[in-house]
Amino acid sequence: MNPALGDARRGPTADPAGRDEAAAARQLRDKIAAQFGRSLHIRTLDTGSCAVCEQEIRLLTAPHYDLHRLGFFFTPAPRHADLLLVTGPMVRAFDVAARKTYEAMPGPKVVVATGACALGGVYPADPFVHGQVSNVLPVDVWIPGCPPSPLALLHGLGVAVGRLAEKTPGLTFIADEDPYGGEA
Amino acid sequence: MPLWFARGLRRGVVTTRYPARPDSSSAFLPTPPAFRPGQLTRETADRMVAACPSGALRRQGDVLVFDPGACTACGRCAAVAPRAVTWSGEWELAATTRSALVKEIPILGEEL
Repeated sequence: MNPALGDARRGPTADPAGRDEAAAARQLRDKIAAQFGRSLHIRTLDTGSCAVCEQEIRLLTAPHYDLHRLGFFFTPAPRHADLLLVTGPMVRAFDVAARKTYEAMPGPKVVVATGACALGGVYPADPFVHGQVSNVLPVDVWIPGCPPSPLALLHGLGVAVGRLAEKTPGLTFIADEDPYGGEA
Repeated sequence: MPLWFARGLRRGVVTTRYPARPDSSSAFLPTPPAFRPGQLTRETADRMVAACPSGALRRQGDVLVFDPGACTACGRCAAVAPRAVTWSGEWELAATTRSALVKEIPILGEEL
């Protein structure tokens, strides 16, 4: 193979020294979106949640939300799963099971942390819980909410496969001034 | 069933990929709070931080740092400072970076 031609085809990102990590992550994300875009199998992992997140996840399969029309499916086996939907604050007693589930999934895989516990809100790290999913697993998408509604979960799954844009960077959580005026 | 079939034929699509219209229930969802900087003082901010059970609020000088990822939309900040807090109405909050979920609210109110 002509080395000059090979270099030209691969472009500057192929150089290991000059490889931009963010660009690589973006390429990988595009690849995942292209491969998973219309058929994504989800394995849910409850790491000590109160089960309200599970209620909302279960509702995704109800006729009103009908997850399957979007090409998302739940699978009972991590070996068939592309996306790990993790709820709960990562109880330490669940370490082995969480690690085995993650390792059993074929790559490329996506980890989604779901709910305020999984995002580090409710339980601080202590001898019983890790406090948040990202302390243990490499999280790709964070879905806030206590619990996140089925619509919020749908939006999060859409963000995870690159079909929907994330809104969060544009939000400020600053409201207009009090319409009634007056002292605080 | 025949009605759905006829409607599908007429519109060309039976379902949408993602809810094209806001869901009727989305107006009633508990959502994280939004803050009014002009009504916030250091003292109200500290009271809200103390009232927050999930550690979603903390104060750094004249900035209230709000983490909607940790927020459970319980409304206790609104209970201690009803003037300074309202509901944001935002529930499409999924983020691909954790830092995108941490927001800084300036504290602009004057101490009484």
